[in-house]
Amino acid sequence: MSRAAQGLRAWLLQRFTAIYLAVYLLVVVSVIAGRETVSYAEWRDWLGGPWMGVGTTLFALAVLLHVWVGIRDVLIDYMHAVWLRLLFMAATALVLLVSLLWVVRALALAAIGTN
Amino acid sequence: MARTKPAPKFLNLIKIKLPPGGVASIGHRISGVLMFLSIPFVAWEFGLSLESEQSFRDVQQCLQSTPVLLLSLILVWSLSHHLLAGVRHLFLDVGMGVDKTRANTTAWLVNLGALLLTVLYAVTLL
Repeated sequence: MSRAAQGLRAWLLQRFTAIYLAVYLLVVVSVIAGRETVSYAEWRDWLGGPWMGVGTTLFALAVLLHVWVGIRDVLIDYMHAVWLRLLFMAATALVLLVSLLWVVRALALAAIGTN
Repeated sequence: MARTKPAPKFLNLIKIKLPPGGVASIGHRISGVLMFLSIPFVAWEFGLSLESEQSFRDVQQCLQSTPVLLLSLILVWSLSHHLLAGVRHLFLDVGMGVDKTRANTTAWLVNLGALLLTVLYAVTLL
């Protein structure tokens, strides 16, 4: 993809992930709403199931991509020293990747635990 | 070129009056950054909640502590504002609600709607 198209790709990525994030959140909040207490087994089986397992993994991935585009925009706007901007971008990527792996690991363990 | 007075710069933040659309916009940014900063904590607690019966209970206890509940108010506002402002943005992207009066109205809806949702959430905590 040409350099000029890279901005468009980020723009589209931000919007597509935004739609998925919004739909997932509305569905999950409407399912959770009104429930008072949940046991560990219920919680684990719910998130270990195929729908929530795959849906939440996709959610975590969408968060990573969406946040990356957004924070990158913010850093480009306010952080003008190039070395500092690169440092913050690297730190952002690290935080997002570690968080994603931690969440996916937990979901995988929950999926194994339900069998 | 004629010498003119330098353009006025109203950098006094108290004097700047942002239009509702400006408030929605900067709020979108601030809420996004706040949620980004919360990701390590949220991901950590989420992982622990699935780890074991004991860690699940630890997470429950942590989420019910006063500092975390106060933090959750900020995050509920952030999520509400970011979601509402994001939906408004998507409509603007496809050219809907671009005219000044409607853009103003939807901006007010976003700004006040997020606060209203936060208040409703706060009430459920009481």
